[in-house]
Amino acid sequence: MRLWRTLTWFYRAATKGAQVRALPKEVGLSTDVMIEANGLTKRYGAFRALDKVSFEVHRGEVVGFLGPNGAGKSTTMRILTCFISATGGTARVHGYDVFDDPLEVRKKIGYLPQRAPLYGEMSVWEYLTFVADMRGLETATFKKRMKNIVEVCGLATSLGKDIRDLSHGYRQRVGLAQALVHDPPILILDEPTSDLDPNEKAEVIKYIQEIGKERTILLSTHNLSEVEQACARAIIVSKGRIVADGPLEEIRAKSGRVRYVVQVHEKRVFEGGPAKKAPSAEEVQTALEKLPGVTSVVELPTDDRAHSFQLAGAQDGDIRAEIFQLIVSKGWLLLEMRREAQKLEDVFKALTKNDERRDRGRPVVEDDEDEAEAAAEDEDEDEDEDESAEDESDEDESDEDEDEDESDEDDKKKKG
Amino acid sequence: MGTTFIIAKREFRSNFDSTLAYVVICLGLILLGFVFFEFGGGFWQQDRASLVQIFAQAPRGLSFLIIPVVTMRLLAEEKRSGTLEMLITLPVKDHEVILGKFLGAWGLVLLLVASTLLYPLLMFFKPWDLGPLDMGPVYSGYLGLLLYSAAAVSIGLLISALAESQTVAFFITFVVLFALHMVGSVADKMPTPWLREAISFISFDTRLVPFAKGMINTRDIVYFASIAVGCLMAAFRALERRKWA
Repeated sequence: MRLWRTLTWFYRAATKGAQVRALPKEVGLSTDVMIEANGLTKRYGAFRALDKVSFEVHRGEVVGFLGPNGAGKSTTMRILTCFISATGGTARVHGYDVFDDPLEVRKKIGYLPQRAPLYGEMSVWEYLTFVADMRGLETATFKKRMKNIVEVCGLATSLGKDIRDLSHGYRQRVGLAQALVHDPPILILDEPTSDLDPNEKAEVIKYIQEIGKERTILLSTHNLSEVEQACARAIIVSKGRIVADGPLEEIRAKSGRVRYVVQVHEKRVFEGGPAKKAPSAEEVQTALEKLPGVTSVVELPTDDRAHSFQLAGAQDGDIRAEIFQLIVSKGWLLLEMRREAQKLEDVFKALTKNDERRDRGRPVVEDDEDEAEAAAEDEDEDEDEDESAEDESDEDESDEDEDEDESDEDDKKKKG
Repeated sequence: MGTTFIIAKREFRSNFDSTLAYVVICLGLILLGFVFFEFGGGFWQQDRASLVQIFAQAPRGLSFLIIPVVTMRLLAEEKRSGTLEMLITLPVKDHEVILGKFLGAWGLVLLLVASTLLYPLLMFFKPWDLGPLDMGPVYSGYLGLLLYSAAAVSIGLLISALAESQTVAFFITFVVLFALHMVGSVADKMPTPWLREAISFISFDTRLVPFAKGMINTRDIVYFASIAVGCLMAAFRALERRKWA
């Protein structure tokens, strides 16, 4: 009897942490919000990997999750896929809470982690069968679906090959295929195009566009041209915070600037015009600066035929007509004039270029009011953090050493 | 089929995808044959129809060679290569991963244990009938091997869950199992009786001797079972640690 009690105690203790409610609350999806993050915070010691990240992804959206390396993209995705837990905040995927119903969440998600870690010793077909079994797919359904997936991911010729023999691009395709096996409504792809050559990148993006027609996709990358191709909306994270979130057009407009490039001939003037001799660079620059809405005029390097200037103007205005009129009235010879909306790349740089490490090591503060103060102490904090990290690793090593010493002693005892 | 068994099946089969497993298994069986017939006088010198040699030596062979090799990869390698993230983000509970891994590895060890059944079958039934074999100790001996291997595999699994690389996991598992086997032989040299008792209490060898003789003690069963359950629980916690680390 006592034995039985001990055994049941052990069993209960063993399963306690993993017990999930037997019947997960069926949450009706009244809205079309597929992914909802609310104040997600993740701390590693004093280091904040994520700081109150909140966003929503709606049904059918393909959202680019952008940021420099170490900005918190993977951390967010790992929280959404219930691989790690957030220190604070909540997240819901397809209406299920990632903390309370991890299994339901995972059933709704197809996930491709960074660098597509797959079992190298298995063949592509074996691997996909394994994933399908794990997801409880019927063999007939699986085979039917595979036809489509193999076609979309271009895997027809490599189904029998061992995964370890595949090139990086093909592995990435297998990774995509395994994420699609159960036909999930939501796909989370962590840097699906990193380490690929340009052709492979283009192909993977093509697959994503194809897949994204009927699914919600959250796609992380630091390659901006991919976002422009595949996504209509982007979320930019930096230092564990969201710095921009919205349709690409809106993000581009975020800097509120438009550039104009104007080139005027250096040697000749417009024949029959008021000017008798070609203008000097200063002359042109002063004239351009007087135009309405121009905030800066910068001379660009050119050959000795032309003066070239870059103007920054307000986002909502368009001063090309004024520029043209100015140049006609002066009688200069216009070689080139163009208006450029800000590139996503520039916005990205502007939003994320500030010192990466700023704010990361600041002490844990609950109130936003304290943050400015805390940020001021940043540099010192960073140093402290480094030291403590080193201390920790030293401790780990010595722990291991101790283990080995003990066992060495055991050996000696035995020999003695 | 539950996810636990799918993981166990994959784990079991993956052993046969590398030459290492084959080499280790063959080497293990050759060594066992040598030990059985030659070591310490061997089977023929005993002049008895007994398989005590198998039950005395097989656990050592398993502990020093096979179990560290089989268990080192289980979680350490998956953590290193990142496949663990892929596995855990499938709809599977953490304890199913641990149990599946355990069953896969234990299955392979049991396959090896089962292959030693060739000795009694060939020697005492067909084709060589060397005499009547007392079956009691054979049954209890195999029960002992079954329990012992569950405990040893779960120790290896726990160490693999904690170690950063499979090499480290291999060495630590080897050392721990070696210590658990050998600690019994230093028990007699201990100065105080309570220390002597304590040491022989945790020794694998002391626990296995009764099984080989045909005695099944509840204490020994509980000893092995609680090691297995305890280590599996700890491995589960170690796997869960990733969430909060």
